[in-house]
Amino acid sequence: MTLTRSWSRLTPAGKIVVPLLAIVVALTVALLLGMVTGIVPAITGAVLDTLEANVGIVRFVVAILAVLLFTIPTAFIVGYLELKAIAFMNLRLGPNRVGPWGTLAAAFHGFKILAKEDFTPTGADVPVFTLAPAVVFLAPVLAFLVLPFAPGLFGQDMNIALLYFFAMGGLGVVGLMMAGWSSFNKYSLLGALRAAAQIISYEIPLTLSVVGLILLAGTLSLNQIVLNQQGSFLDWYVWQQPLGFAIFFIAATAEGNRTPFDLTEADSEIVAGFATEYSGMRFGFFYFAEYVNVFLLSALTVVLYFGGWLAPIDIGAVLHQVGLTFDPALDPGSLGLGLLLGILIVPPLAIVALALPFWAFRSGLPFWKALVVGFLLFNVIAAGATLLWAVASFEVVEGLLWFMAKTYVFVAILVWMRATLPRVRIDQLMGFAWKWLLPAALVNLFVTALALIVIDAVKG
Amino acid sequence: MTLPQTVPFLGWSWNDLLFLVLATALLGTALMVVLGRNIIRSGLWMIACFATLAGVYALLGTPLVAAAQVLVYIGAISVLILFAIMLTQTKGGPAALVFHHQAWAAAIAAVVLGTLLALVVTSTEWPLAGEYAATSVRAIAQLLFSDYVLPFEIVGVLLLAAVIGGVFLAKRDEPRDEPHGERPE
Repeated sequence: MTLTRSWSRLTPAGKIVVPLLAIVVALTVALLLGMVTGIVPAITGAVLDTLEANVGIVRFVVAILAVLLFTIPTAFIVGYLELKAIAFMNLRLGPNRVGPWGTLAAAFHGFKILAKEDFTPTGADVPVFTLAPAVVFLAPVLAFLVLPFAPGLFGQDMNIALLYFFAMGGLGVVGLMMAGWSSFNKYSLLGALRAAAQIISYEIPLTLSVVGLILLAGTLSLNQIVLNQQGSFLDWYVWQQPLGFAIFFIAATAEGNRTPFDLTEADSEIVAGFATEYSGMRFGFFYFAEYVNVFLLSALTVVLYFGGWLAPIDIGAVLHQVGLTFDPALDPGSLGLGLLLGILIVPPLAIVALALPFWAFRSGLPFWKALVVGFLLFNVIAAGATLLWAVASFEVVEGLLWFMAKTYVFVAILVWMRATLPRVRIDQLMGFAWKWLLPAALVNLFVTALALIVIDAVKG
Repeated sequence: MTLPQTVPFLGWSWNDLLFLVLATALLGTALMVVLGRNIIRSGLWMIACFATLAGVYALLGTPLVAAAQVLVYIGAISVLILFAIMLTQTKGGPAALVFHHQAWAAAIAAVVLGTLLALVVTSTEWPLAGEYAATSVRAIAQLLFSDYVLPFEIVGVLLLAAVIGGVFLAKRDEPRDEPHGERPE
C-alpha cells in the first residue's frame, strides 16, 4: 500500500532511477554472496579470458564509462573555478563556507539540484521536455570519445575524429530547440531560436578555420594532429595558423554559448532562454552540459593549436644540458626488505619532524595540533613526490598533466572573458559571424593553401 | 572464449542482425514522421530517422558518410527545418497538418511512386552483398578531387546560385521606413 503510494509520487525520472538502483543493490548482494561462497573466484579466470578475447568491445565500453564519469568532476571543477575566479575579479570573496576555500560549494550545488522539485509546466510536451536535457548533455559526452588526453589515452582513434567531433558538437542544438519548444513559454522559444541561429552561423567559420590546419596536418585524426606538433613549443600549429586560431577560439566561444555570445540565455532579455521552465536535475543537466562544453572546447583548442599533451620544451634534454640527470627507473622491488622498513618508519618520523618546528615556534599550540599540521604537510609532500615520480616515470601521466594544465589555462580564459566582456546584441552577433569571421576564415584557408603550394614549388 | 561468429540459434552474421535492427528503427522512425499529427514531433522523428541512417552508413563501412550525415542532415538541415517551423507555427494554431485533407491526391502520388520504385527495383541488377569493406577518407578524397572534380565543382556552383537566389528572394525591395540599426546620413 505504502509502496504503491510512494511509487505514484515519483517523477518520471525517478521511476527510471529507482529500479536501476534496485538492480545495482541486487547485483552488489549477488557479488558479495558469490565472494563468500567462492563462486566468484572460481570463474574469474574464465571471465578474464572472455574479456581479453573481445578486447575491442571491452575497450569501447570502458572508454564510454570513463568519459561519462569524467564529466562529473570536470563540471564541478569548472563550476567552482567560475564561482571563485569571477568573485575575485568582482572583488568579492565567492564561496567560502563549505570545505576549505569553499571548494565543495559546486558539489553541494549538485546535491541541492538533486533535491529540488522536478517541475513540468502545464501545456508542456512532456516526452520532448524530458528528453531535451539528456540530448544537450549527450552531445559533449559523445564528442569526448575522440579527444586524446595523453599518448594512448583516448576513447577511439578515428581517422575522421575532427569531423566526428564537430558532428557531435552540432547535436547539442537539437536538444536546445527541443527544450525551447516543449516548454510552452515564449522566452524559452526565443532562446531556442537564438540558439539555432547562433550555433548554425558560427559552425561555418568554426569548421572553415580548421581546414587550413587540416591542410598543414594532412589528417583528420586528433591523435595524429598532436603527434605532428612534436618538438618544442615553436612547432605548435598556433604559430602557423594564428588567424585560424583566433577565428576558431571566437567561434568556439559562440558554439559553447559563453559570454559575450550567451544570447540564448541572456537573463536581462529573455529570463533564462531555453532553460526558463526547467528545474531540479533537468536544469542540472543543462548546467552540467555547459561546463563540460567549456572544458571540451578548451581541450579541442589545446589539441589543435597548442600541441595537446606535448610538453612545451623537452625537460629531460634541458636537464641533461645543465648537467642534471634524473633517472626515474627506480624499481620499488629492488629495495627488498628496506622498502618495508621505509614504509613503516619514514612516515611517523617525517610527521614528527615536520610537527616539531610548529610546536617549537608557535607558543600555545598543543602538541597534538602540531602533529595534525605535520600529518597534513607530510601528506602534501608525499603526494607531490609520488606525482613527480609518476611524471618522470610514465609518459602518460606527464602527458595528461600537460594536457590538463593547458586546457585549464583556456578554461580560465573563458571564465575571465565571462567576467569582463559585456554581452553583444543579436544583430551584432550574426553580422560578426557572416561579415567578418567567415571571410577571415576563407582568407586563412586561401593563404594557407597558397603558402603550401609556394613552399612545395621552392623545395621541389 | 570469443563471441560466436554468428548469432546463436539464428545463424545470421552479427552485421546482418545489426542491419536488421537499424533498418527496423529506420522504417519505424520514418513512419512516425509521416503518421504523427504534431509537426514538431515529426521533425524530431526525422532527426531520429537521420541518425539511424547514419548508423547504417557506419555499418556499411563508410564512417565519413555517416559523420557527414550527422553533421549536415541533423546538425544543419533538420535544425533549419525545425527553426522555420518554430518561427511560423504557434501552439494556438491547428495542431493537425495542413496537407491532411488531400487524401486522394496523396493516394495517387503514392501509387505512382510505388510503381516507379517497383519498376526500378526489379529492373536493377543488384550486386551481391560482399564483405563490409571500410572505405578510407583518403580514397574518397582522391576520387572527389581527381575523377569527380567537375561534378563536385558544379554542385558547388549550384549551391552558390541557390544561396544567392535565397538572398534575392528574402531581401526587401525598399529600405525600411525606420531603420533600427544605422541611421541614414
